Parts: sequence; structure tokens; C-alpha cells
Amino acid sequence: MEIYAQAIVNGILIGSIYGFTAFGLTLIFGIMRVVNFAHASLLMMSMFLAYGVTRTGVNPYLAILVEIPVLFIAGYILQRSLIEHVIKREPGVREPMSVLLLTAGLLVLIENLALVLFGPDYKMARTAYFGATFKLSGVIIKTAWFYGLIATLGCYFLVNAFLKWTRMGQAIRATGQDRDAAQLMGIDHYHIFGVAFGIGMALLGVCGAILVPFYYVHPAVGWVFGINSFIIVILGGLGSIPGAFWGGIIIGLIESVGAQFMNATWTIVVVYGVFLSILFIRPAGLFGLRQEW
Amino acid sequence: MNGLGRTWRWIASPKQYIGLFLVLLLLAFPLVVTSPFYIQIMIMVLFFAYLSSCWNIISGYAGQLSIGHAAFLMVGAYTSSLLFSNLGLSPWIGMLIGGLLAVLLGLLIGYPTFRLRGAYFAIATIVWAEGLRKIVENTEFIGGLKIGGAEGLTIPLIHHSLANYQFVNKTYYYYIMLGLMLLIIYLTYRIDRSKLGYYLSAVREDEDAARALGVNVRKYKLMAMAISAFFTALAGTFYAQLLLYIEPVDIGGIALSIEMLLIGVIGGRGTIIGPIVGAFLLVPCKELVRTYIGTTYVGAHLVLYGAIMVMVILFFPQGLERPFRRCYLGLARWLGQAERAEGEGR
Amino acid sequence: MRRVFMAMIILCLAALTLPGFAVQPAQAESVRIGAVFPLSGPLAPIGGHIKQGITIAVEDINKAGGIKSLGGAKMEVVYGDSTGDAKVGVTEIERLITKDKVCAVTGAYQSGVTLPMATVAERYQVPFYATGSEDSITQRGYKYTFRSNEKTSWRVRDQVGFIVAMGKKYGDPVKTAGLVWENTAWGQGAHRDWQKYLKEAGIEIVVDEPYPHATTDLTPVILKLKKGKPDCIFCCSYISDAILLINTIAEMEVKAKAVIGLSGGYADPNFIPGVGKNCLNMFDAVRWEPDFPRPGIKEINERYKALSGVILDTEVMKQYTYMWVLAEAVNKAGSTDPKKIRDALAGLHLKAPHPAVQFVEDELYFDQTGQVFAGSMVGVQFREVNGKIERVTVWPENMCRKGFEPIWPMPSK
Repeated sequence: MEIYAQAIVNGILIGSIYGFTAFGLTLIFGIMRVVNFAHASLLMMSMFLAYGVTRTGVNPYLAILVEIPVLFIAGYILQRSLIEHVIKREPGVREPMSVLLLTAGLLVLIENLALVLFGPDYKMARTAYFGATFKLSGVIIKTAWFYGLIATLGCYFLVNAFLKWTRMGQAIRATGQDRDAAQLMGIDHYHIFGVAFGIGMALLGVCGAILVPFYYVHPAVGWVFGINSFIIVILGGLGSIPGAFWGGIIIGLIESVGAQFMNATWTIVVVYGVFLSILFIRPAGLFGLRQEW
Repeated sequence: MNGLGRTWRWIASPKQYIGLFLVLLLLAFPLVVTSPFYIQIMIMVLFFAYLSSCWNIISGYAGQLSIGHAAFLMVGAYTSSLLFSNLGLSPWIGMLIGGLLAVLLGLLIGYPTFRLRGAYFAIATIVWAEGLRKIVENTEFIGGLKIGGAEGLTIPLIHHSLANYQFVNKTYYYYIMLGLMLLIIYLTYRIDRSKLGYYLSAVREDEDAARALGVNVRKYKLMAMAISAFFTALAGTFYAQLLLYIEPVDIGGIALSIEMLLIGVIGGRGTIIGPIVGAFLLVPCKELVRTYIGTTYVGAHLVLYGAIMVMVILFFPQGLERPFRRCYLGLARWLGQAERAEGEGR
Repeated sequence: MRRVFMAMIILCLAALTLPGFAVQPAQAESVRIGAVFPLSGPLAPIGGHIKQGITIAVEDINKAGGIKSLGGAKMEVVYGDSTGDAKVGVTEIERLITKDKVCAVTGAYQSGVTLPMATVAERYQVPFYATGSEDSITQRGYKYTFRSNEKTSWRVRDQVGFIVAMGKKYGDPVKTAGLVWENTAWGQGAHRDWQKYLKEAGIEIVVDEPYPHATTDLTPVILKLKKGKPDCIFCCSYISDAILLINTIAEMEVKAKAVIGLSGGYADPNFIPGVGKNCLNMFDAVRWEPDFPRPGIKEINERYKALSGVILDTEVMKQYTYMWVLAEAVNKAGSTDPKKIRDALAGLHLKAPHPAVQFVEDELYFDQTGQVFAGSMVGVQFREVNGKIERVTVWPENMCRKGFEPIWPMPSK
């Protein structure tokens, strides 16, 4: 019986981290209607950055302080220099196809650039949290996962608060709801897009810092999370951060608890099956496109 | 008499004979360049030109971006290989059966999925293809039938047999692929000029408007999917007979789907020769980069693909087929003028 | 502006194709052997090490006089990178055969890549010295495929044999088994063999868990092990999964009488640094260990360590011997004609001491299917030696390292 309790706890922990990897993706979609296919490779880059920080010997979670500004700026620049061009070309279209293709091209480019620069070896960060666990009423909890959960919840509330109560946050929400109306109100929506993209990337940056203590770092690591984040985003509803959170937990639980009833090689097929069913029954996802903030 | 004259004038016009000349070059290639290494590269060029053209029918003409097309290759390859290994059925026939199964799969996937738009559809195709691949990977046996799972299937080596679709000399494979490529070009041309093509472009440009005008959107999407799936599966059998070994990650994996997409987009979606242009430009590069730089700088060829893709989307969103066509027509016009000038000078 | 970019794109692409037209100058008087291994991709570290082992072997061969029957011709290796992908491996071996005109090829570490490569070699009638343990590599009736690796089924047979022998010796036998294996050609083959040999040994399989190759989280699988409580955990993994597996077993506090690997990732030099103390007292079944009583190992080890930074492991040593076998075959054939080399290989019979004879058995020859005769594997335990963790040969008794008795069962921490 305690095995099932362990499995459930594991599922919730890893699931919330999965969800976290999807926060940035769903935010960018909600505001800009852009599905960022390069997401997986950007997560991989943020992991490399965090890995680089850990090599200096500091606490890996301090990498967050480096990740946030670097990735925010990178995101802003990326959006304004490349993506904006393509969006501008299809002004009337809500979900421009060419942006999708652009980000797909970026995915291939970034991932293989990392391969050329960093080599294909799997790298594991050697930190104090490696293999660290603690017990909570008989259930073993991986310390690194636990901190991951805390970071997830922390960012969840921070981002929500930001979007609800700050001027910039409100401007972002406004642009997301109605681009043209926002423009009429004097909001430079391309600047807002830049900020939104930057925030999305910053979230990815925090993810990278959290994942490094317990995941291998290598150029193809983005794929592990890549497909899952898209599934989570659609499952939870594009544009909904709570949706991403709960979507992630669902996936985590299916993988963890499901594995107790079948081989681990089949749990992912179950996840895909669940995903496709939701897509056909309720494409808007669990939380729909209702603007939650 | 008149017909002959018309045909002669058609062939003699530079627009046609440049193209015919290029086809002749392709036909003559293996007779001139006998090194199997270069023939293999050209086979891969033709292979991807063919694949991307098949992909183009649903993703270019119908505008439904599919990132899971490798699944059809997998169906084709496994069907013909299983039928051959277990029942001794000629892979040629197995190929056609594989094509039909792929059509069924395409319709099965398309029916619920075509309801979705743009990115949703694309993501759904990824999930479908990956799910199918994982199922094949996890299945070693169905009843007594060996599927192979992740180990893959080896096709029995017979050395040389036309009936069994196996040859020692690469040149045979080259001509088969060339034939398939010319076939798909012709098919795309016919679709482009037909009513189907007309409806597909309506669906591609503005689905809601098309539906409002009474176009049966779903039917035409399914038709495009069926055609695309069938021909993609044929390539699956070709691949199996070329390598004599298939495994799910290789033939059904997302890397192959993305490569089809990259070539199709860089070449030009929704055009007849876009994917061909894309393949002829990109594939030789990739093979040669891989041969000479690949060991030192792994993944360099894909960096190239990604970079070109980004540049193309930014500067040539219609694909490289546009400038290629302009060059081609420019050359044709110049040749035509030269001829006319010659005639007038007399 | 557009046209400039267009021109740039075209020029770049064109420039990149130029190297393709360069003509390879023929190396006079050298014997070219092709070698295809994963030099990039997730298995790149092992591919790199194998390449270094080959380098040392070729140095030794050429220093000893090269191919004497060809007037002392030097052996030269042309490499291909399989990137861990079957399709690429096939293209590479074809390139080596048709463009670089090698007279024999060796490769590719992964069974899934070796299988289709063997077909190519068979079509071109070039001897292929396969390194891959999947049984079917030499079971397809090919004339040009030779294998000097142990078969997976032999590894499993001896792995199970070792466990049974330990149980008997210490009066604490293993009654139940938990299987954890990676889901590719290699793992699936091992799985089949386990079912056969464990059944023969009367051991019940209580947990049977395949996992997706190159996975990033094995916690659900380990939890099932914890639930099933097998006496002995049998593992089959490549390097990154192996590290993950053993670390997760330690994290989730799974206990067993024994945990044993099947070479592969467990024999990789990156394994011990990756798991640290978590691997203490676990076992592995392997073909070769640096502490074998064979002459010359120390010198080879020193030179290899200087080149690679780590000590020799079974995969690298195997490849070292394979180059010597190929050299002997070419020498015996007295020509670089692939067909003659093939016949020479088929009739080769080497006896210790010889640089190619480094394993438990004292001689080397091939059977009709091209499979080398191999003696048994050895059982190895991870023990602390002078403050560092090392692999120590503990079985069979005549190969056991002096002063080290096996510790059975694994002590609970």
C-alpha cells in the first residue's frame, strides 16, 4: 500500500515540474497566439546555462538569479528581432502559421548548435542535492523534486500576481484579450509581446535551474519535455497557467501510478491516448481559453 | 499532323525543353557517374524529393501542417516486409497493400483530427505518429507473428531479384526512385490544375469562407490525406528494400517527419516543384557536410538546415522555389529571345 | 536585399558541396580497414574510447612490422560515425566500402546498427567483423560476417550461472529475480535469454520491467522493483540509464541480495564516477577485466590511459584484439582482396600468448557461422580498493583477484 502512496507523491512532484516547464509555453500562446516550437531547445539551453553555473561550485538554485535576467533579455530580443517580423507579415491572422514554422526552424538550429558547441555527452551536475532524499511519514521524497515543487508554486503565484496587479501585467492581459483594442488604448503591442516572450523565457530559465540537480544535461534533453509540454499546454488549455499546472500533475500521475499497473514503456502511450481523447472531446482543454487572470 | 506539330512546338519551347533536359540529365546520371557513393547520395536526394512532395499534398496544398508523416512510411515498410518475410509475397504487391493500409490510417487519423486547426492539428499529428511508433516499438509479437519491437525487422537477403524488389547494383534503386519522383511530380501537377486543387487552395486560404460557400472541407482534406498517405507508404517499402532492415525509431521517428517538413517548407509549400528544389539543394549538402565535417562537428548539417529554414521563413516565405522559378523562366525567355532574334535576323 | 541573401544562400550551399569533388589520394602500400562506431550521439563517449583503443592497436601492429606478407604494409583505419543511428551506419559502411575502398570493416557497438551494416557488407562481399552481442548477427547465414563478441545469450547464461554459483557457495541462494532492461535490440535479446536461463535455474521472475531507452526518470520502474522484492535484480542498460538506475535504486532504498549488470553501461568507465558509492558491492558479468593474468596488459593500459584519461575496459580491449585478428587475417591472405581475407578469417586459429588472445579462453577461432569460440564470462564485484571503487574479478575462482573473496549477499546499507 505504501508503494502506491509513494507513487502518488512521486507523480505529483514530477508532474508539477512538468507543468512548470509548460508555463512559459502557455503564457506565450495566451498572449501572442504563438505556439513556440523552439520551446524544447530553449529549455535545453537554459539547462546548459544552469549547468555552467553549477560548475563554479555555487548552490545550483542560485543559478536562478543568472537565468532570469539572461533569458528574459534573450527572449525579448528573439521576439523583437525575428518573430515580430513574421507576425507583422500576417497582421490579420490570429495564429500565424509562418511563426510556427519559424520556431520549428529555430528548434532544429538551436538544438544542433548546442550539439556542435557542447558535444553529445550526457553531463550530470554534481551538487549537494544529488541523490538527496528525506522522509515524510514513510514516503521518500527527493529533495531536488521538492524544491522543484516549491519553485513551481512560487512562480505560479508570482506570475499570477504580476499579471493581475501590476500595470505591465494588465497591459499584457489586455493585449492578449484584444490586440487592436489594446493598441487603441496606446499600448505598443509589439513591446508587450517582447515582454511576454521574455517572461516566458525567464520561466524556462528557472525551470532549467530546477532540473539540473537531477536531470542529465545534453543537447537532446529538450525532447523529453518538449512533447510533454505541448500535451500539457493543450490538455490544460492554451493560455491557462493553472491549466498547465494541473495538466502536468495529471501526466505525472499517469506516468507514476500507471507504471505500477503496466510496463513503463506503455505509460507514455496511455498519456498520448488521454491527450488525443481530450483533444477530440474538448479541444479547449480543461480550463479552456477563459482568461483566468 | 497538326497534333504532331503542336507537340513539336511544345517541346521546342524553352520552357519545356530546359525541364526535359534536366530530366534527361537525371536519367543519364548513373550511366556517367558509376561510383556507388554518389549514386547513393542521388538516391537520397530523389527519396526526399519524393517524400516531401507527398507531404506537400496535404501540408502544402491543403495547408494542414503534418509533423507525423513518418508514420505512413512505417506502415508501408512494415506491411511489405512482414508479408514478404512470412508469406513470401512480392514486396511490389506488399507495397500496394501497404499503401492501402496507410490510406486507412490516414483517414482514421484525419477524421477526428481535421476538426482542429493550425498548431493544434500539427501537435496532434506528432502525438499520433509518436504513439504509433511507441506501440510498434513495444510489440515484439502479435500472436505468433514477429513484429520485432525495438529490435526491428531484417528482410531476407536474396541478392538480386526483380520480382522480390532487391538488387545488388544501386542503379536499379536509383531508377525506381526517379520513376516515383517523376510520378509524384506529374500527380501534383494534375492536382494543381484540377478541381481538387482548386478546392484545396480554398480550404488552405480561408477554411471558414470555403465552408460558408458550401465547400465540403472535410471531404477534400481527407482526399488529400489519403493520396498523401498512399504515396508516402510506397516510399516506406522502397526504404525497406534498400536497407533490408527497418526499425521504428528510424523509419517512424519524428526526425524523419521534421526533415520532410524542412525540405518541403524551404522548397516551397503548395507548389509543384517546391519540394523538389528543396531536396536537390539541401540533401546533397547534408550528405557531403556529414561526410567531411560530420565527424568533427556533429550535427553541423542540421545546423545548416535550421539556419536556412529560418532565413527562408524570414526572407522567402514562399520557399526557394520562387527565385528558382524566376531564374528558370528568365533563362527560358532569354533562350526564346535568342531563338527569335536568330529567326528575325534571317 | 533579398537577392543578396539569395545569392549568399546559394553560394554557401555550393561551397559546402565542393569538398565532395576532392579526390582522395590513394595511400600507397597501406591496408585500409573501415571502422564505424557511434562517434557522436548519446553513445559518443564509448565510441570515442573504442577509437582510442583502435589507435593503440594499430600503433602496435605497425610497430611489430605491419602486414609482413605484404612487404610490411602499414594498417590504416578509416572511420565512420554511426551517430547511434542504423540508417547512418548503413550509409557510412557503404561509403567506406565504395569510396574509401576498405578491405574489411569493423563495427558498430550497438546491435541495432550492426545488423543492417552486416547486410551491406554481405552484398558487397567484404568481410565484416561485427561487434554487437545480439545473437542473430551470426545466425542469418551470412558468409562475410564474423563476430568476436560474446553472444548476449552467453553473457546471460554466465550471468545466471554466476549468481547460482554464489548462492550455492554461500548457502544463500537466489529464488526470485527482477529484470530491468532497456527497450532496444540488445535489451529485448537479453530479456528472451533471461527467461530461458532463469527458468532452467529454477529462479522465478517476479518483476519484469522494460523501460524506454535513454529515459530520464526511472522512479516508477524502481518502485515496482521495491514492491516485488526480488532476491536478485538483473539489469541490462547502456551507460546513462545504468547510472540513473543504480542511483535511483539507492534513492528509493531498494534492497536485494544481489544487483547484477550485463556489461554495457555497467562496464563503461563513466559508470563508477557517475554513481559513486551507490554501486558498492553490486556485480557485473563481463568478458574481460584489466586484472586478468595476461602479459602486456599493463603497458597497453598505460598508453591507453595516457590517450584517454581512463583505464581499459572490456569494450576497448575487445576492439584492440579485433584489430590484431584482422591484421593476422590479411597477413594470412597475403592480399587485400576482401574474398581472400574472408577465407583467411574463416580458417584462422590463434593461440595464447598472442595480443589477440586476452580473454578467459586460450585460443581464438571461428565456427561455421562466423562466431568466435568464447569461454565463459567472469563475475565482477564493485569493491573499495585503497579508498577508490574498482571492479574486482571474483569468479570463476581461477580468475579471481588475489585477496578478494566475493561478498555475498550484498550488505544492506
